[in-house]
Amino acid sequence: MTYDTSRRGFLSAGLALPLAGLSSKIGLFQSEISPAGTNSPVKLDYRMLGKTGLKVTTLGFGCMITSDPSVIRRAADLGINYFDTARGYQHGNNEKMVGAALKGKRKQIVLSTKTPGADKEAALKDLDTSLKELGTDYVDIWYLHGKDSPAEVHDDLIEAQQIAKKQGKIRFAGVSTHTGQKELLPWLAQKGVFDVVLVAYNFTMDSGMEQAVEAAAKGNLGVVGMKVMAGGFRSLKPGDPTFEKLHREGALLSALKWTLKNPNVSTTIPSMTDMDQLEENLKAMAQPFGGADEKLLAAKLEMISPLYCRLCGECEGTCAKGLPIQDTLRFLTYAEGYGQFALGRERFQELPVAQKTVRCGDCAECTVKCRHGLQVFARMSRAQELFA
Amino acid sequence: MRIQLVLPLVLLFGSAASAQEYLDCQLVPGWEQSGTKREYTADNLYEYMDGNAESYLLYGFVRMQGITCTSGEKKLVIDVSEMEDSDLAYGMFASNSDPNQPIANIAMGGQVQPRRASFAKGKYYVEIAASPEGDHTAALQAFTTKMEALLEGRNTPPEALDWFPKDNLTSARLVPESVLGLRQLKRGYVAKYAQGQAFIVLEASPESAAETFKKVQTRFPEASPAKVGDEAFQAKTRYLEGICIFRKGRYLAGYANLPDSQEAVSRATKLAIRIP
Repeated sequence: MTYDTSRRGFLSAGLALPLAGLSSKIGLFQSEISPAGTNSPVKLDYRMLGKTGLKVTTLGFGCMITSDPSVIRRAADLGINYFDTARGYQHGNNEKMVGAALKGKRKQIVLSTKTPGADKEAALKDLDTSLKELGTDYVDIWYLHGKDSPAEVHDDLIEAQQIAKKQGKIRFAGVSTHTGQKELLPWLAQKGVFDVVLVAYNFTMDSGMEQAVEAAAKGNLGVVGMKVMAGGFRSLKPGDPTFEKLHREGALLSALKWTLKNPNVSTTIPSMTDMDQLEENLKAMAQPFGGADEKLLAAKLEMISPLYCRLCGECEGTCAKGLPIQDTLRFLTYAEGYGQFALGRERFQELPVAQKTVRCGDCAECTVKCRHGLQVFARMSRAQELFA
Repeated sequence: MRIQLVLPLVLLFGSAASAQEYLDCQLVPGWEQSGTKREYTADNLYEYMDGNAESYLLYGFVRMQGITCTSGEKKLVIDVSEMEDSDLAYGMFASNSDPNQPIANIAMGGQVQPRRASFAKGKYYVEIAASPEGDHTAALQAFTTKMEALLEGRNTPPEALDWFPKDNLTSARLVPESVLGLRQLKRGYVAKYAQGQAFIVLEASPESAAETFKKVQTRFPEASPAKVGDEAFQAKTRYLEGICIFRKGRYLAGYANLPDSQEAVSRATKLAIRIP
């Protein structure tokens, strides 16, 4: 891929808007286009990505599990302009595929990748490899991949990002994170050396996460949402009856719209493997989150809450008998969710004797209250019944 | 692409290997285990590989067991992922292998490079990462050989891969969902060529294949019939370019991304002959 790498060339492509003074981030840049091969218009919704000046479509494209480049090409033709990959996806094969898919479209899009590098040298080496595989000489956003606490964001890695910026190999520095976000996001915002954060953010999360995202946005970080379909959907695939049911009912789209209703989130990067998914997700830019979506997600939450431990850890230490609730329920998931009964029992049996001999039925009242509605007493009793 | 026609004796006689046996640093003299054994399921894999877990789940990940071995300053991180079936394990290997390196004669397929080895055997996908910088080929090869012998399962790549014509073939792999970006083609094999790509999707029966064929055909209103297999169509499209899709028995297959649909029909005809 060859193109003009100068900032001027990039600006002329119309992606960066010097509109820092605008107060609202939503709906200012809406436009309509016709998708290739159809007559129905697609409404594109744009938001500013923090202080970067980049104008991104609220629906981006997570390329991680996409296998056919045609889906990515079509998304770009339809106007989606944010594409995300990582050095580690399929040991670099994903970057190669993304580079090939977006060949000739570099000026139209915002491209991000990530490094798992543990130190400056490794990270910069990764970056050079990424650029080669992507067929470009710069990426717009370069994330430090999967950092879950301030301690993991070493000065060495920050220096690597600064060097890469000076060399013109990256335009903006980012950090991607999946857990520990409530602590990490405010820290990243306050640090003042980052431009963008990629965060796990979905409808199953509590208001604490909302505040963390707000802190990031107030610190002028562009916020990109991932895992927007939530953990409850993670193991479901097209063809799976439950997936098809949720899809028919529009729950997946509702989950995407839920994330986008937060004005502090600039864009999202749901994984998309086929044209149907792409078409469906495009609707998130045209239809605001409404009562019907709320109802669908509430039903979904209700469905998963009694059984699904979100591993928030808030119940730890609240059992009068000192039982490790979160761990025990994870062992139960091994058995019931993944058919790994032996593994679940093995893990349970590794608990100290004082814990594995406790029976929840012996307590007059359960002291553990899950604010997400998980039926702790029933689920713990089930674990004891199965494993003890 | 390596072709293996005979199952090795190890499969015939079995080798009831436990996790402890194939996950043992002392399989190779001079190596010691560092730390405890790792174990992850689909539920918590993200704790180990934040940001990359989804690609494992895509290939039917069930669980992972791993150990870290050291020898002086040298370190090997060995992870064995159990997938739902051997085809998915092979798919995981193929999607993570280096397309610029040949596939080695290790179980269903493997690669040993200076700092990384990987292979698939049965429903297991094995990865070994070596550090620090340098050439660790000898150690990686030694562990690979030992583990390959201890792990149970199939040693031959999926049969369908052998049906793809070999001329100008650059890579072949299992795509676990949405072959060609079409949801109707749920799971199949895709071969990349110097120009264009071929695919084979295995359906449960000729009837279900015929039903899927109809659904796929509706996605190409510009298509015209072609004479390949039991039924076929050809089209010139924006994203898949010259394409020909046919059904033969319970298989759906075809070519895409060729300059024109006639070329796709011509190549599809050759592919159809190779499909039993």
